[in-house]
Parts: sequence; structure tokens; C-alpha cells
Amino acid sequence: MSRIGVFVCHCGENISRTVDVERVAEAAGHISGVAYATDYKYMCSDPGQGLLKKAVAEHKLDGLVVAACSPRMHEKTFRNAAKAAGLNPFLCEMANIREHCSWVHEDREEATAKAIDIVRLMVERVKKDKALQPITVPITKRALVIGGGIAGIQAALDIADCGHQVLLVEREPSIGGHMAQLSETFPTLDCSQCIMTPKMVDVANHPNIKLYTWSEIENVDGYIGNFQVTIRKKARSVDMDKCTGCGVCMAKCPQKKIKSKFDCGLGTRPAIYVPFPQAVPNAPVIDRENCTYFKSGKCGVCAKVCGPGAVDYDQQDELITEPVGAIVVATGFELYSIAEKPKGSSIKGYGEFGHGTIPDVIDGMTFERLASASGPTGGKILRPSDGREPKQVVFVQCVGSRAREKGISYCSKVCCMYTAKHTMLYKHKVHDGQAYVFFMDARTPGKSYDEFWRRAVEEEEAVYIRGMVSRLYQKGDKIVVMGSDVLVGVQVEIEADLVVLATAVQPRQGADSLAQKLGISYDTYNFYSEAHAKLKPVECATAGIYLAGACQGPKDIPDTVSQASAAAAKVMTLFAKDQLEREPIVARVNERNCVACFYCKKVCPYGAVEEKEIRDRQGNLVRVVAYVNPGVCGGCGTCQATCPSKSVELDGYTDEQVMAMIEAL
Amino acid sequence: MTKNLLNYSYYPGCSLHASAKEYDESTKGVFKALRIGLKEVPDWFCCGATPAHNVDELLSLSLCAKNLSLADNVEGDLAVACAACFSRLKTTQHRLTENDIKRKQVETAIAGSVSLEKPVKHLLEILAKDYGLDRLADAVKKPLTGLKVATYYGCLLTRPPDVPELDCCEAPTIMENVIAATGAEPVSWSHRLECCGANFTLSRPGVVLNLSNAILASAKRAGADCIMVACPLCHGNLDIRQKEIEEANGTRYGMPVFYMTQLLGLAVGVPTGKLGLESMIVNPLPLLREKQLL
Repeated sequence: MSRIGVFVCHCGENISRTVDVERVAEAAGHISGVAYATDYKYMCSDPGQGLLKKAVAEHKLDGLVVAACSPRMHEKTFRNAAKAAGLNPFLCEMANIREHCSWVHEDREEATAKAIDIVRLMVERVKKDKALQPITVPITKRALVIGGGIAGIQAALDIADCGHQVLLVEREPSIGGHMAQLSETFPTLDCSQCIMTPKMVDVANHPNIKLYTWSEIENVDGYIGNFQVTIRKKARSVDMDKCTGCGVCMAKCPQKKIKSKFDCGLGTRPAIYVPFPQAVPNAPVIDRENCTYFKSGKCGVCAKVCGPGAVDYDQQDELITEPVGAIVVATGFELYSIAEKPKGSSIKGYGEFGHGTIPDVIDGMTFERLASASGPTGGKILRPSDGREPKQVVFVQCVGSRAREKGISYCSKVCCMYTAKHTMLYKHKVHDGQAYVFFMDARTPGKSYDEFWRRAVEEEEAVYIRGMVSRLYQKGDKIVVMGSDVLVGVQVEIEADLVVLATAVQPRQGADSLAQKLGISYDTYNFYSEAHAKLKPVECATAGIYLAGACQGPKDIPDTVSQASAAAAKVMTLFAKDQLEREPIVARVNERNCVACFYCKKVCPYGAVEEKEIRDRQGNLVRVVAYVNPGVCGGCGTCQATCPSKSVELDGYTDEQVMAMIEAL
Repeated sequence: MTKNLLNYSYYPGCSLHASAKEYDESTKGVFKALRIGLKEVPDWFCCGATPAHNVDELLSLSLCAKNLSLADNVEGDLAVACAACFSRLKTTQHRLTENDIKRKQVETAIAGSVSLEKPVKHLLEILAKDYGLDRLADAVKKPLTGLKVATYYGCLLTRPPDVPELDCCEAPTIMENVIAATGAEPVSWSHRLECCGANFTLSRPGVVLNLSNAILASAKRAGADCIMVACPLCHGNLDIRQKEIEEANGTRYGMPVFYMTQLLGLAVGVPTGKLGLESMIVNPLPLLREKQLL
């Protein structure tokens, strides 16, 4: 006869508001096999866990049911408590009466009855639980960081400084990301390049960092501690070992008119190029789509002028597989397009702002390039259309953000601050110019942020107009901005020379397909989801994968750097152990019954099923059966559901247990 | 008699029987030429237009709901020419579909059940989507080549978002597509979705003179020969008040304002006498002669 203890949690009022917890505990006490049942306000707190431990000793309990929240929340907490009380932790189960009951029901009677049912099921399950021993697997102490912006750079440096190898993979020819494009940064107006480029050089010189630029993630296999990642190293057409970075090839390339993505289309670059002079690595890439040699077979100038003979037109994409133990995803953001709306997107676009047809309507990043000392205008604010200095500049905040009817309801977080910064940069460069800002709210929660915004308004004389813009149109060489001033209650029309739209921050295109490769979850906008909004803000629900920067949600530089260091700390915590304990919830094959159909092998999403040969004492092959590698098994139970001869079962979820639970209903 | 390609029930609305007779006449002419049947809903009455919904929402919803139930007596989707009627009927369908309480109130008010299933379609939608732009282009007998048209949507054809379901709310192209099918050249201009002042034309004409002036000026700036509208009220403000606008602003536009069906009628060979061109205040004949369209 079992001696099971049932502990019913109030979860403050989360459960007790809808479920009569005292009655659940009382009813649980009458279930056969239950030796002790009680309720407590916060079971997960220290006194709550103490209560559990004391009950195990006093009542000689041999199994525990904690009726509280989801096992995803606190199973580990209570299994640790069970272990501390001297029980095998896998004899402790959670009955989820919060997410599955109190949060989704209103009727107290019905919810209480359901909670009692849930507890009864779990009691039956615990009766048939077996003591399981954790599986240990070795940890590969190398980390993969995806994305070489400030988030990826910070995480890579922190992990590498701790003595672990890091692979840093960047899609573009150089690391640096968006921060390398910025002019000066809020709230201190220090030059972005000046604080960014030394970090880029640190990455390049760090003995523990292996840099893969112009590379993308092709495939990810494995699990925490033991991932296998395949990296596609795109053909650079330049041998990086030979290239000295002298730049002669770029100077001599006859193609000079290709719009520079780094300069937001304001400047041009040759077909063999580095995105910007401070690029790391300082080795060019041939843009094969625009290269005359690749288009027509003629030219070849760069190969002729290259002293060390580094140009290699025959280079092919290379697939490299590397083992890593942890992954930091830092793929960053991109800005909502003010040109055509993206195809198949639920976002509606801004036809009323000219759909990108008015050349002097630009986005915030383009303004950064205009204001940047290393930008195409050398830091002079000049209109893209005619190179004239604009005397009236209108900044429009919340373009795309906080606009549910346009498809995005979130706040992009950085625009209030960078627009205030833009008005200052503009005023510093064009003293007789006037900046106007259309805004919904000025959101400045951050250290020294509100002071910075006030400075823009009070000292730098930016005119802030509370209200939105309804339409932009070209009239002669001016852009007419039609908007409303909701504080005064009038319609406003401003004839501007330049309009800067603070467009919404969005995840990178393709963020969803990378998430699918990694097996991590993402929200409706394709931002990656953290495991817990408050308590696990850098971990993914998938073990061993961590998030840093704007790929998880819009973020400014200080927040990005903090999160990157936090993700690095999580990786280092993982690497601090030599062996990783895994939950022993794995499938086990009954070799006697297995008929070797290998359906399980076909359906296993983890590739954990192997074919095992059984031999007699003389070494003759008797038969072949399925074998589940416990180190690889993800415990999903698909094999169990598929097996026609019922020869494979998941520990903790055996057919016998499930049947017993159903019968208890 | 040749068989019709498509058939619709038709809600002309009050204006088309009064100040916008030429819109009604030209609509019937064009649809006949394109072999699209139009059968007027018997006993239809006013949709309530702007006044009703400003005074009493239940009244405005009930007027439209009753008209919609009358329309059920005639086969075919409901064709509507006037932008305001179109907006009111679509709004009623939208409001009553999403709000059961309102629906019950309206059912009490009209002492009958509310019927919301019949699709309400503006002429533009019928021509561009049901009939099809290719078929429309094939039906053109006299291409309007060389005629630069400022296509004026006004406020109601595409707004509020999600109600008219005609085209993109802020950057529509349906009018341009329809007129381009006739060989005319739609110009790119800034004020095609701005308000003309609508029914302030009676209570505060000064507002209309300002707003409509901006529209005419924008069309002129874009190099348009004429403006094309799909709303009797817009037509009134831009055409009937044009002279006043010119005087008030010391400018001269002389910009003919056509109903879309008048231009389409010219293109698909409706006899000129059946397009009501003579009732336009800004005389379009010199322009049409210059472009050799008469």
C-alpha cells in the first residue's frame, strides 16, 4: 500500500480564488493510498517546502503530489525538495490546478470538482512511478553565438574571456551590426564607432573566438551540452589567409555604382567590397550578383591587381559542422520598411506616406548615416534628393509601432530617445534649422533618459507636437506634412525639407526559419520568446539556447549589452560543470518484444533510435532490435504511441500509468 | 435581346434621382453597354446619409437595415453608386454583424428580421473585380488616350478601415486601375483621399471652399485635365462650387469634374446625349473636343 502525500497550494489567490483548496485537500485525504493531505498559501516558498519535507519524515511518505501550478513552472523546485527529504525526486509529481483549472474556470463548484479529479489522476500516476536515476552526459564546452552585432560581440567576448571557445557566426561580410552604423548614441552622445570598433578588434584578436563572417546557420542537431551545428560559409571569392586588406581591388573595381546597404542606399560601393572601412575582418567580399566577371565572364580586374593573389573566383560555399554545448542567439532587428509593404505580411504599410516614393522621406537609420562622420556625406545633414541642407526637418515617431490597425501593437522602445537625439544632432550641425517632432508619448524610462529628452526640448529647441501625421506629399521641392496637434486641437501643416520616420523595430526577416532550425519558440511578430518573462528573460524554453538583444524584443544598447552579458553568464554556468544531469524521462525498449519494424526510428524527431544487434555467446547474430540512446532521447513519447507491438515505453509515462489515470476518472 | 453577363440589384440613393441624375443615367448607360443587368430595388428609400447617424445611430442603422431587407427581394448582389449610401449600408452590415444587442434593437425598430448576407458592392468593385479589368479594356470602343485624370476617392470609399472592403484604406488603386483600362492616364497626386468638406457645403460653406480648393489645386499641380469622382456630394463641392472657390482664392481652375461612369460611358460608346454632360457646371465639352473624344 502506497503512502502518498498531497500538498495543495493556494498560489496566493491564483488558485484559491476559484478553487476551494481546503476541500481539495480534504477530498485528497480520502483517496486510497494517500497517507497525508494538506493545503498551504505558497507551497513553493521556503516554509511551504519545509512543510513538505517535514511531512515526508513524519508520515513516512513514499510518493508526493503537489497540486499547484504547471510542472513547467515548479516541478524542478518540488522534486529538489523531495530529494532533500530523502525521496527519489521522480516520485514527486505536479497536479496542475492553476493553468489547467483555476485560471480557466469561473464556477467555484465545478473548478473545485475538477481540481479534485486532477489530484486523483496524479495520485494514481505516482502509485506506479518508479524511482529513476538522472542520466549524465558530457558537455562540449564551446559556445555558438549567432549574430555579430553588439549583442553577439558582448556575449562572445564574455564567454571567451572566461576561457571557453566561441564560434561567432555573422551573416554579413563584417561584424558590427547596426551599432556600427549609428552616429552618436544616447544619452551621452558618444560616438558609436569609437566605442564599438575596439570591441570588434577584440573579437578578431581573441584567441578563443573563431569568427565566421559571411556565414549562416544551415542546420542544428542535438541538445543542451551536445549540439551539432552546420554552418554555411558562403563563398567570399577572396582567400582570407592571403588577403592583406590593402584595398587595391576595391579601388580598381570598375563597378562603382552599387548602392551600399550599410549606408542605407545613400552611398555607393564597388562589387568587391568591405561594408565600411573599419570592417572586421578587413577582407573584401565579391558581390556576385553585381560583379561583371560573374555576370559576363569578362573583367577579372581585381584578380589581376591583387598582389598576394587572394581573389579566387572558383571559391564555393563550404559546409562546416562544429560541436558546441550552448547557443546564444543574437540576430538583432531591422526597421519596418517605409517602401513597399513586405509581401505576404499582415502589416499594412504606409501608402499615405508615399510608399518610399518621396526621396527626402527617410527612416531613422538613414538619418544616422547622414549624421555619421564616416557616412556618405561626411557627417553633413544633406537631403538625399538634391544635396541641399534642410532648414525644416520633421521627425515622426511611432511609424508602424503602437498601431494595431497597421499590424503592430508593440512600442519599439528606442525611437523616443533616438528621435530626441536626432533633433540635437541636427541642431548641432544646422544652427539655423528647426526640428519638429510629431509624437504620441515621450517614453524615456532609463538612466539619464528623461533629462536627455528635456534637453532636446528646452535647450535645443526642438518643437514637439503631440499628435500623429496623416499624410505626406511632395509639393515642389517641399514635403507637406499633414498632422494634428491634439493638445491644441488643430490640424497642422508643415512644409518640410526633410522628413525622418521613426519606423518600427522588427525582428530580422527569416527569424522564424532560424527559430525552426533551433527549435525555439517565437511570438506572432517573430520575436524570440524567453522561457519566462520575468524570471528567465535570457533563456529559451529549449535548454541550452539563450537570447541576447533585439531579436527577443526592441532594445537599446545598454539593455542589449546587459542581456548579452546575462546570456554569457548562463552559458558559463552551464560550462562550470563537466557533466550535465538530464532528466531520465527517456524511452526504453523491451528487447524481448521488439519485432524490429523500426517505425520508432522513422518517427523519432531526435534521431535517438539506433539498431542494436543481439548476438549469442559465440558471437553469432541472433536478431536486431531497436535501442534508444538515452543521451539523445528528448522524451516526447512519439515512439511509444507508434510502436505496434507496445515494446517501447517512456519512463514516467508508461501505458500502465496512463491507463491507471484514465480509470481513476 | 442579348443575355446579360452579370446581374445586380441596384440601390441608386436619393442623390441619383435628384442632383446627381447624370450619375444614375450614365451608370445605367455603361452597365447596359457592358451587358450588366441592374434591377432597381422596389420601394427603396433614403439611407439616412450623414444626418441620420449624427443624430441617432439606431435610426441610421434601421434605415439601412430596412433597405437591405428590401434588397433581398431582388436577385443579385446589391450595386451602389453613391459613396455615402455605400458607406452607410456597409457600416450597417458591419455594426450589426459584430453587435448582437444593436441587431436586436434594429429588428424591433423595423419590425422584421435583419438580413445582412447580401454583398453590397460599389460600382468600382463590380467593374474591377466582378466584371474584370481585362473585360473592361476589351469593351472600350473609344480609348480615352491622352486624357489625364485625377481620380478622387474622397473620405468614404475606402474608410474607415475594414468596413468598405473595397481597397487598401490609405493607398488604394482601384479607381486608377478602372480608368486606366479605358486608356486614360491616371495622374499621381496628393489629395485623392482628402475630405472635400462634404455636407458642410450648406451649413459652413467656408470650410468647403478651403478644403475643396486644396483638392483642385493639387489636381492642377499634378497636371490633371479633369477630376473623376464616385460621390454626388464630392461632385457638388468640386463642380458646383468651383467658381466660388476660384473667386474666393483668386485662382482659375476650369477643371471639369466627371462621374466615373461619364468617362467610362465615353469610352465604351454610350451615346454622348445619355451621359448628362450638359448638366455639369464646369463645361467639359472644350476639353473633350480638344482631346478628340466627342
